[in-house]
Amino acid sequence: MKGRAQRTELLSALGFLLPNFLGFVIFTAGPVLFSLGVSFSNWNLQQTIPFQWIGFGNFVELFHDPQFWLYFANTGYLMLGMPVAIAGSLFMAILLSQRLRGIVVYRTLFYLPSFTSGVALMILWKALYNPDFGPINAMINGVTHALHLKATAPQWLLATKNLLGLDVEQVRMVSKQFGLGARDALILMGVWIAIGGNNMLLYLAALTNVPQELHEAASLDGAGKWASFRNVTWPQLAPTTFFIVVMSFIGGLQGGFDQARVMTAGGPAGTTTTLSYYIYTKAFEEFQIGYASAISWILFAMIFVMTLVNWKYGSKELNY
Amino acid sequence: MRVFFLAAFLCLVLLSLLAWRIRPKVTEKGKIPLVWVSDDNPARREQIGLFNRLNLKYNLRLDPSNTGMEKVIVQSLAGVGPDLFDCYDGFQLSAYVKSGIAWDVTDELGKAGVDVAKDLWSAAHPTIMHEGRVYGFPTNVAVNCVWLNKDLFDKRRVPYPKGPMTWEEFIPLAQRMTIRNAQGKVEQFGLFCDWWNWQQFVLQWGGRLYSEDGTRCTLDSPEAIAGVQFLHDLIYKHHVMPSPVEEAAMATQGGWGSGTITFFGGGKGAMALGGRWWLCTLRDYKKLHLGAFECPHGPYRVSRGYGRATLINRNSPRHQHALEFLKYEAGKGYNELINHQADALAPVIRYSYTPLYLHDPEFPEEDYNAVWRDAMKFGVPDQISPFINGQAATRILNKQLDLVKNDQKSAAAALTRAAQEINKEIRKTLEKDPLLRVRYLKLTGGRKP
Repeated sequence: MKGRAQRTELLSALGFLLPNFLGFVIFTAGPVLFSLGVSFSNWNLQQTIPFQWIGFGNFVELFHDPQFWLYFANTGYLMLGMPVAIAGSLFMAILLSQRLRGIVVYRTLFYLPSFTSGVALMILWKALYNPDFGPINAMINGVTHALHLKATAPQWLLATKNLLGLDVEQVRMVSKQFGLGARDALILMGVWIAIGGNNMLLYLAALTNVPQELHEAASLDGAGKWASFRNVTWPQLAPTTFFIVVMSFIGGLQGGFDQARVMTAGGPAGTTTTLSYYIYTKAFEEFQIGYASAISWILFAMIFVMTLVNWKYGSKELNY
Repeated sequence: MRVFFLAAFLCLVLLSLLAWRIRPKVTEKGKIPLVWVSDDNPARREQIGLFNRLNLKYNLRLDPSNTGMEKVIVQSLAGVGPDLFDCYDGFQLSAYVKSGIAWDVTDELGKAGVDVAKDLWSAAHPTIMHEGRVYGFPTNVAVNCVWLNKDLFDKRRVPYPKGPMTWEEFIPLAQRMTIRNAQGKVEQFGLFCDWWNWQQFVLQWGGRLYSEDGTRCTLDSPEAIAGVQFLHDLIYKHHVMPSPVEEAAMATQGGWGSGTITFFGGGKGAMALGGRWWLCTLRDYKKLHLGAFECPHGPYRVSRGYGRATLINRNSPRHQHALEFLKYEAGKGYNELINHQADALAPVIRYSYTPLYLHDPEFPEEDYNAVWRDAMKFGVPDQISPFINGQAATRILNKQLDLVKNDQKSAAAALTRAAQEINKEIRKTLEKDPLLRVRYLKLTGGRKP
């Protein structure tokens, strides 16, 4: 009798799971495996070349493709804002965890960028970065003018310069490229969006879960606010921080597509083209589906390795 | 809980049935539906309206949300593509043909009495002809001339220029029409020119994108370099055209048409290099008094000819019916409508040699129509190479031209690099494609890439 009830329960559970499972197999797992197969082929939507299995041909070509390395460097560069974004969202969460009047309004306001359409935000930032009339340059010019400095405001989305001096045509650093440009503009925007985003919510939730008695004990031991944060709050936030770091790495490596599509078209001179935008270009503009799939799988491998590294070294700190 | 889920499921089924029952009719009853993927230009709707009035059997509708080569190819290959779609240049045509979605209509148009070689402007050929076969019919055709804002010339008491003239003769005029304020900031530019017209300058200086047989990119030739250098100099040496920073600073609103049209329409420039199709937008600027003259030339008196064509999706179950639209595009009604709308120039030559074209009673102030038609004689179409994916070439070129436009690289260095990379891409294509390799070796007399 008990067995029959269990079987009925199992069948009901499977019945409820089936639509989702089918959806996953058809629309996620299937295409993913299909793309793996395709990455070993020369499949091109422009059928000049007969379809062939070419083994690791695409992967070999990829490692000799200078564009791939340039766009990989761009992807890495755009991730430089990640630590600032994480620290910023923690800071914001701490501020918003205070018991203040109207704190709900503040929380809503700071979370606003997350539920505003990404395209709308990007168009807004494009206007903010306008070199002549944008408020950012107006402010910079106002400050330099007041201080009698001869510095000129950056050209933001129109400039190929960057803080590391990365060259446009090769992966190397050159002094003439040193400055602020499109990549830095995207980083700044990304940090702004991320500070008030989901990371802040996660930290906010984690902060409320820190046992009050730990703070009280620390206080009894004479710990100040900073010591209490460093020795109590921060270690308690370790699992959340670990999760945020892993997710940020994954998001960072996959990112840059929307910005490139809406704000820069991957320019100027390809400086905001990331791996995800390169995959799109190769697959849907140049129709080299096999090659684009190979890039996708290399990107997946990178994400996988980075996550493993994070897991190996990051999870050691997780004692809670 | 079980009752709740069952009720929710039944509700969804009922709502789905209701939605299916009250769904809007895609087409009128008894009519054959046809879908044309094209831009949402107001002119397009009138063109569709006329087709539907002349062909009562059909109900053609516009689908502006699936434009773009990648969408058309992917959807057509998947069997959900449109019946008709646009093609903007030879690169795109070759992509559509190689993807197997463009229907070869050579014989069908021949049977309908359409003589593509004789009836159409030669500048329109690359958008419809690939390797000697015809795959569509031109929607319109264009060359660039120079638009002038008569009011700004009157204000400066400068007589309206008339072509033909050389760029050397043009520069002092453009400099005279470039006005700066007390701080030296330009308030009115002498000339606007979209950077994508760079090929016009290459052609006018005697350069070519590819060698005659298409086997090699020749952008590193002194002629091509001189052409692009001149375009660069219009910004940075002669200071008559806005730099990218100045363009961004003008920050006009978008809308249909490119930024340059709205800059010009807004009176921010005295002259602009553009096609007759600009009128579709410029007619909305009611107070604008326009003139036009033939584009200045370099050592060669040529102009870049371009346009768009309509192709038929070979995989469409209604491709035979879609042919009626191409026949319509070859007819008098459509061609006169194109000229009247100023959606560039009618594709069939003879309809631009009529009094109605020269003096449209609805637009009596437009007394410059002969300029566009006469300039068509100098129209040279864009070049393509069968040995390289056009999009890959465009990606390489855009990157290098971006650097020239931003004054970060000389035209010589950029074009030399572009030619090297394009030729490398050609070699890569030949390594992979045995058929193209045979063709290449035949053309080059056995010379290896």
